[in-house]
Amino acid sequence: MQLAVNIAVLAAIYALISCGYVLIYRVSRVLSLAHGELMMLGAYGLAATASLFSGHPLVAIVASAALALMVGVLVYGVLMWRMTGESVLAAVLATIALGILLRGAMVLFFGTQTRYPLQELGWTNASIAVGDTARISAAGLALVLVTAAVYGGLFLFLRMSRWGIRMRAAGQNPLLAAQRGISLHGVYALAWGLATFTGGMAGMLITCDAGIESTLVTIGLKAFPAALVGGLDSLLGALVGSLVVAGAEVLLIHYVDPLLSDVVPFFVLLAMLVVRPWGLFGTREELDRV
Amino acid sequence: MKKTLFTLLLAAAWPAAAQDAYVVGVSAAMTGPGAGIYAPVVEAMKAYIEHINARGGVNGKPIRLVVQDDGAEPSKAAANAKKLLTQDKVVMLINTSLSSTYAPMVAESKQAGVPLYFGGSVCPKDTYPPADPLLFCSSAFGANLDSQGALGFVKSQAKEPVRIGFAAMAIPIARAEIDYAENLSKTMGMTPVEKQISPPPAPDYTPFATKLKDANPNWVFSWSPWVSQVRTFEAMRRLGWNGRYLTWAHLNAEDELARIKDGEFYVIGTNAFFQDDLPIHAEIRAVTHRANLKYPVTYLTEGFIAGMVIESTMKNTPWPPTPQKVLAAMNNLKVDMKGLRGGPLEWTKDNHFRTKQYYRVWRWDPARSAVVRVQDWQAIDVKR
Repeated sequence: MQLAVNIAVLAAIYALISCGYVLIYRVSRVLSLAHGELMMLGAYGLAATASLFSGHPLVAIVASAALALMVGVLVYGVLMWRMTGESVLAAVLATIALGILLRGAMVLFFGTQTRYPLQELGWTNASIAVGDTARISAAGLALVLVTAAVYGGLFLFLRMSRWGIRMRAAGQNPLLAAQRGISLHGVYALAWGLATFTGGMAGMLITCDAGIESTLVTIGLKAFPAALVGGLDSLLGALVGSLVVAGAEVLLIHYVDPLLSDVVPFFVLLAMLVVRPWGLFGTREELDRV
Repeated sequence: MKKTLFTLLLAAAWPAAAQDAYVVGVSAAMTGPGAGIYAPVVEAMKAYIEHINARGGVNGKPIRLVVQDDGAEPSKAAANAKKLLTQDKVVMLINTSLSSTYAPMVAESKQAGVPLYFGGSVCPKDTYPPADPLLFCSSAFGANLDSQGALGFVKSQAKEPVRIGFAAMAIPIARAEIDYAENLSKTMGMTPVEKQISPPPAPDYTPFATKLKDANPNWVFSWSPWVSQVRTFEAMRRLGWNGRYLTWAHLNAEDELARIKDGEFYVIGTNAFFQDDLPIHAEIRAVTHRANLKYPVTYLTEGFIAGMVIESTMKNTPWPPTPQKVLAAMNNLKVDMKGLRGGPLEWTKDNHFRTKQYYRVWRWDPARSAVVRVQDWQAIDVKR
């Protein structure tokens, strides 16, 4: 039972992070390699709002989530819109440069000390019993619930809302979508906003469990294989890919060797690339090799 | 032949490049992984040296620290060392970074014949007797000795047979130490039940903690970067484990004990805590305040110790300084730690680590709602 809980929490972490990779790629075919840094920025955002709205934790959380969304839109507005029409490689390189810039800026503004946003919110990370034999941390439970809510919300948004349908249309055929009057810049900005929002939420929740460390950026990259395994242009794929990678990781830690946990996501990814390069739920014809 | 020629050229160049200060070069992880541990050391070191310079320097000359960020990357550390040696003409190199940066800096130090001092980074075994002629270390950590001190404490506390678990981060130096501790525990009559090595970084430490907890240890020892030590412990507690956890006292240990507030979470270390309120602590507070450092004062002891070592070394280095004169001073050094450690730091020609390593152990006392000392200074002789 405990293993199932561990898999659920790790899969939720990977799924919440990889959803950002998928959203941006699906709509604009750009692979954002600054996702880990944007995730960390979200975590620092929570630490900042927690001290700004001291004693009002819910206000702090809502403010930091809104801030993450705005940062994503801003990244598109300031940097990525200039990449529209450029080669995919140029856009990917721009995200790498953005990542380096953000990493440096965060050290300058927030320093290198570990921070504990949960403590700053005035909450504790309680241990909750799951049945008779398993336990989950409050932050872990929040991660699972938020991930479920985010995926449920995105499913409804992309299927039912006008902007969601526009996003899907722009992702399928940008030229045709533009000719039909859809504002591509608006759609792309929204995709960046939503991706940074979900990444920021992941950063906030992970750091509620573990504190803000400089290594958070690397955790952002660790979710990348999950997105690729599922298929870079499929949200369902990101969810299933995260479950596959997390399951393999947790089971190998428990039954074989904990050292394998670092290589397992990439082993699963390699196996997938050999057998089905477009991922479990990805679209074959959408493959774009950089 | 090439190496000899290079060393000769470099030696010849030093007097020509006459400087107005003792120039010391630092390559440090000011950013990147581990910056949280290394950057405060460098900031404190700089503040201490500025404080010394404000009082007239040493031998009437100031000490100039040239700090280069290596981001904990070996290639950057190599480039930094080259730049510090060839452009800044430093008479001493300092490494305050991850162990992965050691090899390229050692290579540069050896090629130039300039002493390399590890201040705040884990002491390589090459500084233990018989020491490498060019490598020196004052950092609190001491491979193997730390495990001896830690397991000695566990044995002294245990009232029942010890079933011990081990946790470490998957970095070479931590894995080697935890392997050593595992073997040592057997010779001390303990039963090692499980060893968990987690990658740097892990998004969730619960899977590792689950296996460790399932082995049902009554003690766990962890020797790694703080993030790995404490996250494993916290995950084990949330899983319902009630045993005792002993871990290394990094810079942030005093503050972290107060944050975690767990009566069975112990830290072992070699630097006095600020709760002792020694006169040197007041000095550190004053210097920190003047330098307007952004780190908590409790993080700065290690950097001050490094500053004191640099000051003593340069005091014993006659003007004009050369790497050879600095080396001679370092080979016969005794620094009064003023209570920051259990005794003075002594380097000899054969021992570039210290002749005695002193350990204390602390924990959080829930009854007193304070950090308390569980074991006072215990000395271990550092021998060949």
